[in-house]
Amino acid sequence: MTEALLRTENLTKEVGALVAVDDVSISIGAGTLHSVIGPNGAGKTTLLNLLSGTLKPTEGRVYYKGDDITRVPVYDMIHRGIGRSFQITNIFPFLTVFENVRLAAQATGSDNFKFWRTAASFPDYTTRARSVLEDVGLADESLIPANALPHGDQRKLELAMILAPNPDVLLLDEPTAGMASEQVPELVDLISRIQAGTDKTVVLVEHNMNVVMNASDRITVMNHGSVLAEGSPSDIAANEVVQEAYLGSLYEEGPE
Amino acid sequence: MTEASPKRPNFLTRHGMLIFVVTLAILFPFIVGLIEGQSPATVIASEGGNSKFLMGLAVEVFILALFALSYDVLLGITGLLSFGHQMFFAVGAYGSGIMLKSLGWSLPLTLLGILVLAILQALLFGVVLPRVHGITFALVTLGIASMFWIVIQSPDVGDWTGGDVGLQGASSLVPAWINTNDHRFRFYLMALAVLVLFYLVFRRIVSSPTGAVMVANRENQDRALMLGYNTLWFKMFALVITSIAAAIAGMLWTMHQPIVTPTVAGLGWVVAALLMVLMGGIGTLTGAIIGAAMFRLLSFYLERWFGGGASLMLGVTYVLLVLFLPYGIVGTWRLKQARVSEGRKRLVALVTGKGG
Ligand SMILES: Nc1ncnc2c1ncn2[C@@H]1O[C@H](COP(=O)(O)OP(=O)(O)OP(=O)(O)O)[C@@H](O)[C@H]1O
Ligand SMILES: [Mg+2]
Repeated sequence: MTEALLRTENLTKEVGALVAVDDVSISIGAGTLHSVIGPNGAGKTTLLNLLSGTLKPTEGRVYYKGDDITRVPVYDMIHRGIGRSFQITNIFPFLTVFENVRLAAQATGSDNFKFWRTAASFPDYTTRARSVLEDVGLADESLIPANALPHGDQRKLELAMILAPNPDVLLLDEPTAGMASEQVPELVDLISRIQAGTDKTVVLVEHNMNVVMNASDRITVMNHGSVLAEGSPSDIAANEVVQEAYLGSLYEEGPE
Repeated sequence: MTEASPKRPNFLTRHGMLIFVVTLAILFPFIVGLIEGQSPATVIASEGGNSKFLMGLAVEVFILALFALSYDVLLGITGLLSFGHQMFFAVGAYGSGIMLKSLGWSLPLTLLGILVLAILQALLFGVVLPRVHGITFALVTLGIASMFWIVIQSPDVGDWTGGDVGLQGASSLVPAWINTNDHRFRFYLMALAVLVLFYLVFRRIVSSPTGAVMVANRENQDRALMLGYNTLWFKMFALVITSIAAAIAGMLWTMHQPIVTPTVAGLGWVVAALLMVLMGGIGTLTGAIIGAAMFRLLSFYLERWFGGGASLMLGVTYVLLVLFLPYGIVGTWRLKQARVSEGRKRLVALVTGKGG
């Protein structure tokens, strides 16, 4: 395995009486696509919230490039190179599709307080937004308010907003959630293209087993907040505990 | 924010409406004078009559418009609900009154003093920003402003503030060349210029990268944080610029009125700003100005025509306006425009067979 870029140590998050993430220690190799799977309520989203700084853990630590980032505020994450997308679409509903992405691009620049110039006069962000919208296939919808997009397109917008600042690490929480099945391959293809050929690291939470088995370098299986198993796709496919607990029926539908 | 279009409309097209309105405002006293049979020279000399009186009323509209404009930037653009904005105004009003009268400062020095006070009070409000959100921020700011309201009425500071009677006579200390009584037309132009200046500055700020983040904060603060914006600094910025605008409005008020009463520090004053912004259209800037004009003129003429029943009628007017134009005048107008252009697009698609 490659050197760990992102690493957790005994990460625990208690929500009331429930332990949503329970003593999780994982390593994510630089440049890998690392999937996190598990049944509903396994704690996958909570784990991403802890990795992205949205939530602070009850116990344990998160390390990135060797630095302890456990208590780093959420707005610093993208500046360190960690971006995050949401399972439940989280956009600026009444702003245009273009402005949503332009804002995402502007965030990592150093022009946020140039209040005497118009935002349109910063080509870095406008061209970046346009090219990302082109990539995800939303170029023609640029000037529509984000909430007027159909659900599948909102998922693409969600992805565009994490791509725009060009982070080193992408934490993707079910990017295909709720998408029509014929749209899924297109989006997965896009994610693979982004990751392959660059040195980007992707942590992917995904329910679609086809996607996970084909695209992942490594897989972590979670259940009831803790890690049930970890390994390469073939390890996981062959793992009896995983099969019994959760995967069996799902994986039979998969390829290979 | 839209993409930069290849052909930028020329200066006149872009600012045509503003130039038209400002020209009209400059001509307004002369038009009144003409009707009254006053020569332009008499109007400029501001010797009296209806034109001088109406200029005085218009100055009040300009001042209230500046106050409402600042509230719109805070609430309508940045999404910060403050019930302490009256203090931003009142500090400008009382501060300048005390500086002119008790401290004997010159007008430029007073202006400087007001700018410093405006920034300081914005920082005071900013201190609570990281700790409280939403309605709690509104209540905490109301608490701070209420304290100020109580203090200025206390007999202990009565020598400075005039207690519950109010601060009298500061306007007569304004140098004659710009004094509202001696040279009403000049004062009128000055107040108009200040309003237009702030309007243009705010419009630019709203369309800037900073304004884009202020809007993002209003729309979805958590997402703005996740995108990498420390929204605290953008809210702080909004507090500072709106505090400056409101305090300047307060200072103009003191320069214009024979007496500054504690009303301007009370809850009713921020509610008035809220009403003006709601009537005109929240988050539209132009709406704040239109709302202020409606607010002042309605209350003036209703009082003149109906006397005691005026406030009831005013209340009914607001309720009707908010019921039938929930986005305010400018907001509803813009929605209509958008719908019209949507309709036009669909029509084009139908004819050309493209899109739809
Ligand atoms: N804020 C919260 N308050 C209460 N319970 C929570 C909260 N956040 C998460 N939980 C609980 O923690 C557990 C883990 O939730 P989480 O959303 O991380 O699961 P998940 O693996 O992402 O599930 P899904 O596949 O449905 O998205 C669940 O039982 C959930 O109900
Ligand atoms: Mg989840």
